[in-house]
Amino acid sequence: MVAVSPLLQRRLLSTGVTKIHHKPHRQWSIKQVKKSNFADTLEDIKSHVSTSDFVAVSLQNTGFYAAPWQRVSPFDTADTAYLKAKYAAERFQVLHFAVCPFTVRASKVTAYPYNFHLFPRAELKMEMPSYSFYCQTSTLISMARQGFDFNSCINDGISYLSREQESAAKIQIGNPILAKNVTESTSIHSIADSVFIERIKSHFKNWKKTCKETSTRKEDALVRSLRKLVLGNEEYDSRPCMNIDVCSERQAQLVVEMLQEFADDVVPLIIPAKGGATRAVRVVLTSSKEDKDLLQGKLQNDEQELMTKIRGFREVIDLISASQKPVVTHGSLNDLTFIHSKFIAPLPPTVDEFMCSLRLAFPLVIDVNNLMKEISPMRKVTNIPVAISQLKNRFRTPIDMEIPCQAMENEDTIHGQNAVKICELFAKLCSILKINPAAVQSDEEKQASALEAYANIFSPFCTASEEPINGDVKIWANNTRTVSCEDLVFLWGFGDRVTAGVLKSLLQESHEAFSKEFDVRLVDNSCAIVIFWQCGLSETFLNTMNKCSDMRGALREMVSEGLRAAGYETYNRACRLGLWESRLADSLDRAVADPDSASKADSKTKSSDICNEWIINLDDL
Amino acid sequence: MRMRKHQWLRTTLSRAYYCTFSSSFPLKHVTQSNFESAVADLKTHLKAADFVAIDLEMTGVASAPWRESLEFDRFDVKYLKVKDSAEKFAVVQFGVCPFRWDPLRLSFIAHPHNFYIFPRQEVPTDSSSCEFLCQTTSMDFLAKYHFDFNACIRQGVSYLSRWQEDEALRRLNLRYEDELSEQARDVPLFSITDILFSERMKNRLREWRDGLLKDTSGGSQLEGSFLNDSNQQFQNIFYKMRPALSLNGFTSHQLRLIQSVTKKHFKDLAFVHVEGESSCSQQLVVYTDSESDRDLLKKEVMDDYRRQAEMKIKAAIGFRHVIDLLSSEKKLIIGHNCFLDLAHVHSKFLGPLPLEAEEFVHSVNKCFPYIIDTKILLNTNNILKQRMNKSKTSLSSAFLSLCPQIAFASNESCNLTFSSSVKVEVQVDDTRSSSWISGVKHEAGYDAFMTGCIFAQACNLLGIDFKLYSPSENLACNERLQKHANLLYLSWINGDIIDLSTGHRTAESLRCRDLKKWQTGILFENIVLIWGFPSDLKTAVIKDRISKVFGPTSVTSICRLDETAVFVQFSKSKLVADFLLVKETLDRSNDAFSVLHPLSTILEGGSTCAASYETYKDICSSPLSKVLFADQARAVGIRWKTKLVERKEEIEIEEQDNFREENAANTISVYVEQN
Repeated sequence: MVAVSPLLQRRLLSTGVTKIHHKPHRQWSIKQVKKSNFADTLEDIKSHVSTSDFVAVSLQNTGFYAAPWQRVSPFDTADTAYLKAKYAAERFQVLHFAVCPFTVRASKVTAYPYNFHLFPRAELKMEMPSYSFYCQTSTLISMARQGFDFNSCINDGISYLSREQESAAKIQIGNPILAKNVTESTSIHSIADSVFIERIKSHFKNWKKTCKETSTRKEDALVRSLRKLVLGNEEYDSRPCMNIDVCSERQAQLVVEMLQEFADDVVPLIIPAKGGATRAVRVVLTSSKEDKDLLQGKLQNDEQELMTKIRGFREVIDLISASQKPVVTHGSLNDLTFIHSKFIAPLPPTVDEFMCSLRLAFPLVIDVNNLMKEISPMRKVTNIPVAISQLKNRFRTPIDMEIPCQAMENEDTIHGQNAVKICELFAKLCSILKINPAAVQSDEEKQASALEAYANIFSPFCTASEEPINGDVKIWANNTRTVSCEDLVFLWGFGDRVTAGVLKSLLQESHEAFSKEFDVRLVDNSCAIVIFWQCGLSETFLNTMNKCSDMRGALREMVSEGLRAAGYETYNRACRLGLWESRLADSLDRAVADPDSASKADSKTKSSDICNEWIINLDDL
Repeated sequence: MRMRKHQWLRTTLSRAYYCTFSSSFPLKHVTQSNFESAVADLKTHLKAADFVAIDLEMTGVASAPWRESLEFDRFDVKYLKVKDSAEKFAVVQFGVCPFRWDPLRLSFIAHPHNFYIFPRQEVPTDSSSCEFLCQTTSMDFLAKYHFDFNACIRQGVSYLSRWQEDEALRRLNLRYEDELSEQARDVPLFSITDILFSERMKNRLREWRDGLLKDTSGGSQLEGSFLNDSNQQFQNIFYKMRPALSLNGFTSHQLRLIQSVTKKHFKDLAFVHVEGESSCSQQLVVYTDSESDRDLLKKEVMDDYRRQAEMKIKAAIGFRHVIDLLSSEKKLIIGHNCFLDLAHVHSKFLGPLPLEAEEFVHSVNKCFPYIIDTKILLNTNNILKQRMNKSKTSLSSAFLSLCPQIAFASNESCNLTFSSSVKVEVQVDDTRSSSWISGVKHEAGYDAFMTGCIFAQACNLLGIDFKLYSPSENLACNERLQKHANLLYLSWINGDIIDLSTGHRTAESLRCRDLKKWQTGILFENIVLIWGFPSDLKTAVIKDRISKVFGPTSVTSICRLDETAVFVQFSKSKLVADFLLVKETLDRSNDAFSVLHPLSTILEGGSTCAASYETYKDICSSPLSKVLFADQARAVGIRWKTKLVERKEEIEIEEQDNFREENAANTISVYVEQN
């Protein structure tokens, strides 16, 4: 589809002219949230998230890729792109997390930006949330240049635990947990169960009786403490208590059930064992019903407090997730793999599982890049400020940004404006694409689905509409040309001094497969990729590479000097097996050598895997 | 912020020249901004120094919990752990503190320097150096001692190792050769616009060239025609004494077309790409008199380019200049438990770490011929051991117990107990003090200072009289120090000592910490490594189950690596082979008996693996670092579940399978009988 016709452009221009009120580009001062003011901010952001339509997020990580080829490239399929993003998310750390709940009404954006500084401090001395993490030097330097304050981040950054880590931590802490009331009694009691209950019950009654007696008796402190020593009575929170050891969850449940009879003044607590099972049930005797409520309230509070401290920043993720508001990002694959791995659970091995797991937490994720791709001149722009200024020049779509709660103190950083800019860009794009963002909240299904068409697309180089764009062939012809993965061949072992052009001319003379149109691009300085524009030739070429006898001339010479070739599946396998060597050639070598290569063969890649043709900037490599 | 405060302090305090009261002024912090002047100063101090103390602050120590120092580290494994640490983590602070004996003042003068360093990648190098690992706890630790991360990242001095420098120069030479020989490729003209553009450029260039030829004196007519050029795409300039056209505002594709046109149609024009000073590049078409002149010009341009690139590489050496100075001056270097420090120095400033400890040690010794480790000194010398009286030999506690007069900056003349101690004066720039109190623990510069003080005091206690000492004498060759020189703790936990000059290892003989353990020792061939069992399996249970099968005395000790792995040390090496054999058989058999076998608790879950100690070494040598050992083993590519070892008694191969079956069957039946 042609996103914006010239006619439409003109119309937008004319409407723009009528009401130009350009604000000079300015910096917003954004609330910086650290460990010290985190608790206070939590309530604010909660209400802002609940009253807003969208939540923009933007992450600042300590790195993006460990080696040039590990960047997500246009020739990556959804699978390999995910695997690369997964590797990065597991390796690097989030130091800065911008959250910006916002609402768009006509041309007005109301945004409530927050910048959270994170540091994976082990608050619990448990090697959690992260034992170590990588930093890419260039990323740190550019962060420093933008004014990022590493000292305050490391000293006063908010820590966190993922959902999975939290449950592991609860067990490791081993704090007694308030036993949940058993609503439905377990119906069938075996004889063993009954015997067990009776035994525990009489034991408990005895204990309770003695407790009541002694507490009424007037003794001096010495006698009481002596009695405590002799009888081994325990106290919990200065109330008498008794531990009942249990061997199974079943027994624990039975004990709690039995204790419900005495619910007026007894509080049962579950003491967890290391493996997560119940080790014992602790019975605390309170003096009255009021005292019992007091204790229960206190326990609940304590647990809440501890958990808040443990969860840390994840509270924010949880409340965004609970609100089920659409999440707006720029580069969703990168950001959401990070979010998933740091705050939800370790990343699953495949992109499909990831999408399923993610959808449970965030049902609607919109990447502004996907909206941008619909506007043909913007297809290639990936930088937010550039995109905003280009849109400004091309379409007069004034967006009025309103930020009601600006930080009082003058933070002199240009850092952390990203989330706000995403809001602005999103609103601009919606207005150009004639999508009404307000409809997300309403019941107008048609409008809501217009936005949903762009949601949850995680492959950075795919568009919502897969058809190539007609109309402006001239400039963008290169970019819309697609090729099946089967027609790609990876070549390596040619030394690190060969340019793509030299390689192409060498290949041209070496084999008949290269008599038709083909292209060569370097992926990194160790490996090149050959694109056969005619179907089937890649296979011919790979077959020749496997048989030394058929080789002639230049090719034979190159092979004898170490040239190797493999199809896309080998590349796929290198990513799948996590063979992340710093040179792609080494990874491919390992993937070829892997014993599993034969067994798990090519069942997964289908010929329908299409990826866009790409332009690799040689200067980047 | 902190830096600014320091500068303020420095300026206000520099007025107080030679103050004698206890004073606080910061040590010399060195960042990019004052690096050159600081190194020039340091150079003179180093030349005059009697010894130089060093200390490093890193972003971490162990890349995974199971890579931390363990008692069950054989020396080669320990080296692999150190190597892994030095390769993965970054050095963020480097303390250098030259000490010079001042015979007039009868005291040492120390010049503590604290260098912030950061691998900035000013020259593209191998991709391994573009990232580094941070251990969360170490970062937290640094933060606790007020490490200034901003100064480090924004202002830290960069560096290039000798190897990286050679590599960069080699690559530059190759590129130079390539470019001299390479013929500019023809750009195929695909579209009609390209053809038109090329044609137009051809005409323009011809016009210009002809204009030059017609009127060599400058050509007013020519200038006129080009000044008409509306968007100033062409500009007449002179380049290397030749008339030239500077090309502006073309796309890279257009420039390539122009280059191609120049090449094809004009023998006397050269297309030149000039790298500007401030990274802006310029494209020129230069007129040359002849073909030979053109080649000359090309060579000149290439030489320029090369010179610039070489300068860039030289400039990127940065902090390594300090290391080169230390090395070339052959000064005595003092460190405190500095094996890891030296590994970092090697990997960051010399070159990649060798695979074997011996090779590493040899390489270090070549670069730094005299090293004395104060931790070794305090723990191996009897006089000092007595003086330390079993107190801790960690850097700060040793400093407190040996040099209290410096630590507390008390005036030593009024305290008789300190009368025997060596005086140390601190000089920073022009400020000097005999009782300096403003050091911050765990700041590399201050740690280096403390190390040096400990060494000076230790020499004093050993009876080295500095008053009789001549500056030409090398301290390391002093008879009282000689036997401690060039010895380092490879592993402090095990008391493994390595001699830098010979590569020999010795176990520390007299350490009265845990005598029992030292007597028994660790026999690595008796060790089995088990991993992948259920993570809630208790160590005691593992020991119990193994003892049930192999006898109550079969297991001498057991050591947990992490929740997924243990080392089990058997009493006999034969038991290692037996254990692995039994385990393998149990893995293969699915019958009911195997469920009853005591080892089945350990094998529960079906992913328990076992192997001899050698496998631990293999896994340690991998560059990967997963947090859990079981994950690491999988990531390293271990697909087998048991790696059998040959028993000491050779068994004929054809019998082996039979035997294996029988043996397992026996153990199982024996156990069933017991039940």
